[in-house]
Amino acid sequence: MDPSEKAQLLELLESNRVTNATRRVLLERLNQKFERQFFSVSHLELLRTVALRLVPHDPLELDLVGPIDGRLAHGDSKGWRYADLALEPNPYKSLLEALPKDFLQLEGEVQDSILEGVQKEFPRAFEDLLAELVEIYYSHPLVQVRIGYYGFADAQGWTL
Amino acid sequence: MTPRTQTLRFDAVVVGTGAGGAPLLSRLARAGLKVLALEAGPVHPLSEMATDERTQEKLFWKDERISSGQDPIGFGRNNSGIGVGGSTLHYTAYVPRVQPDDLKLRTEFGVGQDWPLEYSDLEPYYDELEHFLGISGPEHYPWGPPRNQSYRHAALPLNAAAKAMQRGCAALGIRTSSAPNAALSAPQEQEGYGVRHACTNRGFCQAGCSVGAKASVDVTFLPLAVKGGAEIRPNSFVTRFLLEGNRITGVEYLRDGLLEQVFTDTLFLCAGAIETPRLLLMQNLANSSGQVGRNFMAHVGTQVWGRFEEETQPFMGIPGSLISEDTHRLEGMVGGYLLQSIGAMPVTYASQYARGTGTWGKKLLEHMSGYTKVAGINVLGEGLPYDGNFLELSPELDARGLPKPIIHYSNGDNEKKMAAHAEKLMRDIWTAAGAHDLWTFPRGAHTLGTARMGQDSRSSVINRDCKSWDLENLYICDNSIFPSSLSVNPALTQMALSLRTADVFLKG
Repeated sequence: MDPSEKAQLLELLESNRVTNATRRVLLERLNQKFERQFFSVSHLELLRTVALRLVPHDPLELDLVGPIDGRLAHGDSKGWRYADLALEPNPYKSLLEALPKDFLQLEGEVQDSILEGVQKEFPRAFEDLLAELVEIYYSHPLVQVRIGYYGFADAQGWTL
Repeated sequence: MTPRTQTLRFDAVVVGTGAGGAPLLSRLARAGLKVLALEAGPVHPLSEMATDERTQEKLFWKDERISSGQDPIGFGRNNSGIGVGGSTLHYTAYVPRVQPDDLKLRTEFGVGQDWPLEYSDLEPYYDELEHFLGISGPEHYPWGPPRNQSYRHAALPLNAAAKAMQRGCAALGIRTSSAPNAALSAPQEQEGYGVRHACTNRGFCQAGCSVGAKASVDVTFLPLAVKGGAEIRPNSFVTRFLLEGNRITGVEYLRDGLLEQVFTDTLFLCAGAIETPRLLLMQNLANSSGQVGRNFMAHVGTQVWGRFEEETQPFMGIPGSLISEDTHRLEGMVGGYLLQSIGAMPVTYASQYARGTGTWGKKLLEHMSGYTKVAGINVLGEGLPYDGNFLELSPELDARGLPKPIIHYSNGDNEKKMAAHAEKLMRDIWTAAGAHDLWTFPRGAHTLGTARMGQDSRSSVINRDCKSWDLENLYICDNSIFPSSLSVNPALTQMALSLRTADVFLKG
């Protein structure tokens, strides 16, 4: 990560272009660290590797799996579930257990071709996992400014 | 658990504080009745509305609903609200009136349902609401019957998607108009609340307005109700009704982990098209017709997105700004649809793209790198009632020990034809407007119809005045009562029904 990039973001977040409510949550997210609560060590490692393929990112900069681990530890729902997915404490268990034992050691492109097969075999669970990772990723303010989004700096409103 | 009983008795208890419950609550309070509203969720103060989609998920009903059928409906987002103000906290605030023929679908087409009401029953309430809410709109709206008055405020400025839609439609000979939108283009004094500010173009209507510009009921009807003496009790999750013969005598609810009871002369159930039938089915109430939970409908809500050469900044400006009702009737179809420009908040957009196209990896990131150049349009079309589309209780229990709802939904032939027609037309519009890399997100929008009104007690749950056929002091007023979906956004009509229900009740 470019340190000046983060400094610029912090300057914007501290400015009067961001409301107090927005500033509070975005600063918290920027510095958030997660402790493992729910997944087993091996599932967590697998999920981190899958997350890197589905939504390529720098794991030192942001943790996409930590929020999922936290959500499942609290038993929180996203509001609905496909009827053809059974009720599971870990809704991604079937996906993870379908991966070959040496998945972590494989080249990225080989991992991708395996994941394409998993997407076909478990379309619903794969879609849910992908959507959850994508939502966490694009909620991060550094990721947002990189795609040109600065909508959170709207305290003064916008002129069209 | 032994419930804490309150000896205080109310003239009316209203369950739910959204577009169905809030208007009638204010009306009853102003008439001098002792009224209480029970709301499952918390208060969401404007000062705590962050411009952050993840935080604002607090506005969505997150208890698990089970989605079944060929076209399962996703919940937990724009179709599912919780908290004081209900789904009005995150509605887009498109507020077109219904066209009269949509109320008589069966008469016109021989399928679907007629409403037991006429346009003239709703019209005075539309007039009242457009003034009270402070609707911004065009000087002359091109569709529907002539109006008795102009919109109170000038139309809101068009965002980039609206301008593109205007261009594309003009090229194809489709008329467009600035939309009626319940966000203020100029400040307005709101009784019981104070001054509501004009819209600042934040573009975050679907994640909560932080300035009070949008006429959600927390800044309109609820302050008016409180001024009239109503009590609103948040974090009060109704679990069952108390009965004596065919009267409801009270309501039991969980508040802060404790069970409480209140007693009432009349109950207004306004908990939405999922929670209302769920509550009734748990005790098999008001169901001599067998229609509670049946006839679940969603609007055909197909979206088409495209990428433009120029920056669109799709998060800026009112998402609900341009409309066309030229497709109100279509050859070979039952009913029709309207076209609307939309906005795009980044997280919702990315999530929909991932779910809708299955794209991941570098391709997903490449697509999202063009986020500031995308723009979208969608339709809102008639969704018919079918026997196979319904809500039932699951044997699976939630954390409170109550059965989760299962919602079965599959598009019928009419919905499929309409979605295909709409997709082609929107692709043509977007191509004519200069967009490329088009993609389609199929969608069913809104939740409707699970406790419908009707003229016959054998085929409906409530009568034209929203009164239960079975229980003599139960009224239902939320999106569950729609006999047909209507090809317009439901909020304005819902509020009109709510005011009418209160007036009819008060006349006795």
